[in-house]
Amino acid sequence: MNFIDASLKKIAEVIKNAYVHWETAERNGFMQRLDPRLKVLFLLYCAVIISLIKKLPAQGAVAVFLLILILLSRLDAWRLYRRIAIFAFLFGFLVALPSAFNIITPGRIILHVASLSRAYRFWIYEIPQQIGITAEGSFGVAMLFLRVANSLTAALLIIHTTPFFEIIRALKVFRVPDVFIMTIILSYKYIFIFSRSVEDMYLAMKSRLAVPINRSAARDLVAGRIFFVFKKSWLRYEDTCRAMTARGFTGEIMLYHFRNFSAADAAAGVLFILAGAFFLLLQVMI
Amino acid sequence: MHIPDGYLSPQTYVPLYAVFAGFLAAALRKLRKSLSSKTVPYLGMAAAFSFLIMMFNVPIPGGTTGHAVGAGIVTLLLGPWVAMVSVSVALIIQALIFGDGGITAIGANCFNMAVVMPFVALWVFKLVRGKAAGGWRVSAAAFLSGYLGLVAASLVTAVEFGIQPLIASEGGKPLYAPYGLEIAVPVMTVEHLVLFGIIEGAITLLVLRYFLKNDPESVYVMKEERV
Repeated sequence: MNFIDASLKKIAEVIKNAYVHWETAERNGFMQRLDPRLKVLFLLYCAVIISLIKKLPAQGAVAVFLLILILLSRLDAWRLYRRIAIFAFLFGFLVALPSAFNIITPGRIILHVASLSRAYRFWIYEIPQQIGITAEGSFGVAMLFLRVANSLTAALLIIHTTPFFEIIRALKVFRVPDVFIMTIILSYKYIFIFSRSVEDMYLAMKSRLAVPINRSAARDLVAGRIFFVFKKSWLRYEDTCRAMTARGFTGEIMLYHFRNFSAADAAAGVLFILAGAFFLLLQVMI
Repeated sequence: MHIPDGYLSPQTYVPLYAVFAGFLAAALRKLRKSLSSKTVPYLGMAAAFSFLIMMFNVPIPGGTTGHAVGAGIVTLLLGPWVAMVSVSVALIIQALIFGDGGITAIGANCFNMAVVMPFVALWVFKLVRGKAAGGWRVSAAAFLSGYLGLVAASLVTAVEFGIQPLIASEGGKPLYAPYGLEIAVPVMTVEHLVLFGIIEGAITLLVLRYFLKNDPESVYVMKEERV
């Protein structure tokens, strides 16, 4: 894939993701009906619970709970889990796999792999005579895999059931300053406008290229496109400033208020707290 | 470079959230004073630009393509405080929209790429450039600011990974990132020294050179007045 196709693919992904999230967040499912503040709190609570759980069956129970929430929210579980599986395989399994060996994680060998004539030692590194996968190391890999998968599942569950602006606005429950929240919201809008510009720019470039472009010319071309995006962003910023000033904006930011929590929100909140407590208790009981 | 959820223990990500929040508060205070009512649109523009820089792939030797983190070039163009806020916003959007980087790791990711990288990039640029207004010193300063900014960020990330077996393991079982400092630091640092850092440095140099040739007035590090 050349640099034009690689850039186009990324930009297309930005636009596609936003539309997919917008579409799934509009469905009439369990999580979609809840208050965004509750969902943001749930996401953080879930992330903390997942990072605190130290037993594999408890992580497995969290995975089942999240799957139930995904199904109740009428999300495309197959599509979602395909993405989770790829990410968890790369970052939770492949990256961690060497740590299953006794070279990195010493312990009881459960799968013998190789034998050397003797042990070797270089500076702070040591290669034992018997090389194999240890129980401690394989536990670490399994734990990291489940933790990465569960964390991503929780994040995608919230992302796919809540409009982006509602997620950002709900950050107010963590006392994130209004100016920062407004910056994220405005920046997200700009990203869309400019992503379309960049996509058009690359498509136009691709349609005009009859022969492959050499690397040096390509690098100059990319620098020029970045310059163009900067200037376009700057013009948009000046226009936005003028428009905001014309409407009487003085720098005071007022985000509109959320509705009150409903009985369903309260019930879901209690359910989430109890579920979290159960998972923590489960690892004590096992 | 984006740390996913599950790699850092609460003992690491909670303090890093607090440290990042402190830096962010300082940056917002500073920028609100200098930009007043223009703060939000200016930072929104800068954050969108920081996000989009990562969309531009450049061809690299070997037939593949790579992209920059962009914190170095954003710092040179807009200043370190603006870079800090805008790169943080870009990272938060990436975490919330694409699942790139964990929710619990947002503080750590922002600290590494939005705090460490911009300031190292700025200091390196100033140190190497000296008082030169152009020529090889500015080019070298631009390359090294991107290069060393990213290497420094990768080193901090490696230390965050490497301390996990020391502070959060149970009976020899690793509970979070499984590699100790003796593995995490050389692996992360070497790959950034020999590959990713060079890409970052080259993109920083290319873009800065283009700006200096076509619109030098818009480059923060070359201006007398500081925002």
